[in-house]
Amino acid sequence: MNAPADNPVLAATGIEKSFPGVRALSNVSIELRPGEVVGLVGENGAGKSTLMKILSGVYQPDAGEIRLAGKPTRFASAADATRHGVGMVFQEQSLLLNLTVGENIYLGNEAQFTRFGLVNWRAVYASAARQLAKVQVNVDPRTRAATLDFATRQMVELAKALTLEEHASGRLVILLDEPTSVLERAEVEVLFARVRALKARASFIFVSHRLSEVVELSDRIYVMKDGAVVAELQAAEVDVKTLHRLMVGRGLQAEYYREPLQRPFGDDVVLELEGLGRGDAYRDVSLKLHAGEILGIAGVLGSGREELTRSLAGLLPHDRGRLRVGGREVRLSTPADAVDVELGYVPRERRVEGLVLFLSVAANITLPSLGDIARRGLIDLGEERKLAKSWVERLRVRTPGVDALCLNLSGGNQQKVVLAKWLNAKVRILILDHPTRGLDVGAKEEVYELVRAITNEGVAVILISDTLEETIGLSHTVLVMRDGVVTHRTSANPGAKPLQVDLIGHMV
Amino acid sequence: MTSQTFGADNKPEARRAGRAIRQRFAAWAPVVVLALLCVIVALINPNFLSPGNFVRIAQAAMIPLVLGLGATFVILMGSIDLSVEGILALSAVILSLLVLNGANSNNFGPLAVLPVMLVGAAVGFVNGVVHVGLKVPSFMTTLGTWFIGVGVANALLGGMAVRINDSFIRGLAIERFLGLPWGVWLALICLAIAFVIQNHTRLGRYIYALGGGEELAALSGIPVARVRILTFTLAGVFYSIGGILAAAQLGLGNSLIGAGRLFSTITAVVVGGTALSGGEGSVLQTLVGVLIVAVLNNGMVLADVPPSYQIGVQGLMIIAAVALSIDRNVMRVVK
Amino acid sequence: MRTRIARLEFDRIRQWMPIVTLALLVAFVGVFQPGFLEPTTLMQLASDTAVLFVLATGVTFVIMIGGIDLSIQSMASLASVIVALTVSRWGYAAFAFAIAAGILAGFLSGVAHVRLKVPSFIATLAMGGVLLSAALVLSKERSITLQTSERGYQTWITGTLLGVPNVIVIALVVLAVAHTIQSRTRFGRYSAAIGAGEPAAYASGVKVDGQKIIALVLSATCAALAGVILAGRLASGSPTLASELLLPSIAAVVVGGTAITGGVGSIWRTLIGALIISVVRIGMTFLGINIFAQNIAFGAVLIAAVAVTIDRSKIPIVK
Repeated sequence: MNAPADNPVLAATGIEKSFPGVRALSNVSIELRPGEVVGLVGENGAGKSTLMKILSGVYQPDAGEIRLAGKPTRFASAADATRHGVGMVFQEQSLLLNLTVGENIYLGNEAQFTRFGLVNWRAVYASAARQLAKVQVNVDPRTRAATLDFATRQMVELAKALTLEEHASGRLVILLDEPTSVLERAEVEVLFARVRALKARASFIFVSHRLSEVVELSDRIYVMKDGAVVAELQAAEVDVKTLHRLMVGRGLQAEYYREPLQRPFGDDVVLELEGLGRGDAYRDVSLKLHAGEILGIAGVLGSGREELTRSLAGLLPHDRGRLRVGGREVRLSTPADAVDVELGYVPRERRVEGLVLFLSVAANITLPSLGDIARRGLIDLGEERKLAKSWVERLRVRTPGVDALCLNLSGGNQQKVVLAKWLNAKVRILILDHPTRGLDVGAKEEVYELVRAITNEGVAVILISDTLEETIGLSHTVLVMRDGVVTHRTSANPGAKPLQVDLIGHMV
Repeated sequence: MTSQTFGADNKPEARRAGRAIRQRFAAWAPVVVLALLCVIVALINPNFLSPGNFVRIAQAAMIPLVLGLGATFVILMGSIDLSVEGILALSAVILSLLVLNGANSNNFGPLAVLPVMLVGAAVGFVNGVVHVGLKVPSFMTTLGTWFIGVGVANALLGGMAVRINDSFIRGLAIERFLGLPWGVWLALICLAIAFVIQNHTRLGRYIYALGGGEELAALSGIPVARVRILTFTLAGVFYSIGGILAAAQLGLGNSLIGAGRLFSTITAVVVGGTALSGGEGSVLQTLVGVLIVAVLNNGMVLADVPPSYQIGVQGLMIIAAVALSIDRNVMRVVK
Repeated sequence: MRTRIARLEFDRIRQWMPIVTLALLVAFVGVFQPGFLEPTTLMQLASDTAVLFVLATGVTFVIMIGGIDLSIQSMASLASVIVALTVSRWGYAAFAFAIAAGILAGFLSGVAHVRLKVPSFIATLAMGGVLLSAALVLSKERSITLQTSERGYQTWITGTLLGVPNVIVIALVVLAVAHTIQSRTRFGRYSAAIGAGEPAAYASGVKVDGQKIIALVLSATCAALAGVILAGRLASGSPTLASELLLPSIAAVVVGGTAITGGVGSIWRTLIGALIISVVRIGMTFLGINIFAQNIAFGAVLIAAVAVTIDRSKIPIVK
């Protein structure tokens, strides 16, 4: 598709966006030409999602300009963007499950079917059926969205995005945010066929982790890294390996992950999984975790690794197989059970599940282990403060005091308080769920040092991370999961770390 | 008041189909309960089946139905409305002071109904605006207007009751058409209007959307604030109609006329199957819930159960209805 | 960053608003009616506030943990009925029995809330209905006046200790015990954590269900105690004795500065809140304001108090 570089349909220049503590986008410029599919790749945290949200009107940029067909535009909201012909198919689904397919497709746009305040639902459904036919989805528009499977809902979302063409003139821009993560190959082909057929009418931005698919579908590809665009390539001239190298950059930095501090672990098995399974999420997972070992689990969305770790944390009990902690079989139905067997969980959503933001640093640190400082039923507040102070010192937590609310700490310091909490509870197993998400480089390094220190004292760690690089860099052992099962297992000792591209094959 | 996280999305066909069936069943369960209840009561006392008794049930149900319609819309949206009693009392009192009554020389006749409904709308509007504008949880705002409503009603009457002498208003409760009091027909008209709003207007769909997922609804361009305010205003109108009917039924207006009605309204909505979390339910289900409560109370009377037991039984019913309707596949933080 | 600092400072000021409000109100009434400031009047005010305070203390525990208790007025009324009916037969044990009924009722509400996953608002609304029924049935729907002989058992409520009315002493004891529970026990810490961040508390190993049951038990027990005190002061028991007290109790908690969403608050705040409510009520009477206009003022004050004290950053979506 070699259209001359006419007026780009959509052009973003110099986009800047920051959130408290982190600069998500710096000076990002991209453009989309008529009838093009532009691929957008990058690691988690590279800024792809933020950029898409700005282009679709969900966020406002702090600086920079967006031009639609040459005209500078500002989208006040997602609805505003759709009025201008920019629609998004979301990664996390945006269908309302309690409404029908037809109602979802036209949600917010029923005005065209309304007379004297009454909606002509028959017309809505007839129109919805036509939209569904466009994407070749065979579903009765009167079905409730909740009863459809994920893939079908994804296609309905695409149909919904395409309704743009009914009330927006000019060319459409459709943003596809990870639309294929949970689709089967056959379904992906249908999606691609539809996209290609629609190129006459719309231009697409296609965000995905599945690099081979990006190369297959796109005309041009942008690579993002750390909030900036680092490369713009013709899809025909590039392959997966090159893309990957550009996404990741410099290759693993041994210093960054404190690899010299990585010590071999002993034979002491602290956690053993035997054929563990839960519903469709994961099954037949068996592993042995040793004291002092960092076990990293790699996998994409839907691999089951996140459900597995939440099962170990007691938040999502397993329903098949056996779990042994320190040799004893246990069942972890609630996090309290996990705490009882000295297992702690550092959650991905630090501000929701990791800390009670409106309680003090001291209160958060002692929360799982209040029994230790309670005399005759009453908490010894003096001892609590002493304890908290010593942890704050040891972990170098920057806070105005142990009575300060956790709300006011930076992300990195909040994470240290979470770690302090579990260290205070003297856990022997610690589960780290995306432990450096949202932290700046300096804070990340501090976390890595802490993790090394903890494991060198004998604590065993299970790690899931945003980036393969971090997983490989930190871990002693790496497990790869896909579609709910373990597909690969390798050791990752310093000096003999596996390459990312070796692991990716087992992940997707 | 609740937040949710969902488990794994990839369920196999069977489980999804099972869920769909269970949801369909859940919608019909109250109807089945109502039918069973009627059978049981009829067996206990065949007088249940007499036309006179049906009229009694209809009379007992007409006010809870109208109140329930308003509450249903608010609950479908995911909010809660505690101001029922306040708006009802205020409406009843204002009506009683505007029509031919024993306290002053006003005689505005049936036209008085309009300003009364306007007052209901106004208070509902305040609920919505304070909720949306000051970001106060609906629970708290409506708690406040409950208080204010009863307070203003009290202030207007100085604690006394006012007798209503207007024949039209009294006629709502006394005069009949085709065997049923006019008030019952009015309630049915309200039901029809509520049904049309719920199923055939954008507002109705948007209310469901808000209940199903507010952020997603906002992303689709739904004017969340406007929908919220409109819904509370609409509910206020229904409560004021309930107040008019209550004044008609009692033949007087006083500030205590709403006492206990919040409880029975919520019972009816909940027992009818509308989810407190929002997004699921309908005004027709509330009709069923109202009838269940009315038949149950009627049954207890026919079975010579003292009235003091009725409220306790209703309490147990609420708990059972809510407990049974919780979808255990959805993990939530229950407040 | 600057807005964060500005908000912190506003928060700090906001903390002191209830007590400042109380002082201003007392001063305001005192200026117009100096008789208001006399020790006997103030003592009377404190006595009248005692029942409200005890009720409000109980519901504070539930509000702090993030829920609400709408059954307190029915529980208090039931307790008064139990006392009125049994004090002649069982003497002092009647009071213990009434309190025990409170513990049981709270436990049942708690079980309905955590085991059956019924929101606290519904569970307690329903329990309130059940308790009202119980009171109606037991009292045969009438008010029961206590005979002089029976009132003898209530001197611990109606008497005075060193010139201070016993109800004030009882209220102070409740204050001390409740405050200790809330600020020094594990339950108190857990309930603050649950109210302020239930997912984090749960993930940190707090046994959330059990704490919620405890909160509801405390609430119902306080309500029962309040009912017992009320029966003493009014020398009677009836199924509707406390029915007007639900809204003022919740108002007392909120006006005192405890967030209706939970987590942030204390028993001291409830005390200030209860005093504010009392001062407004009695003060308005002193000032000759129509008693019915007072109800309107309450509603408005309630909404204003919540609007000011509520921490919007905690609630992304206000339902």
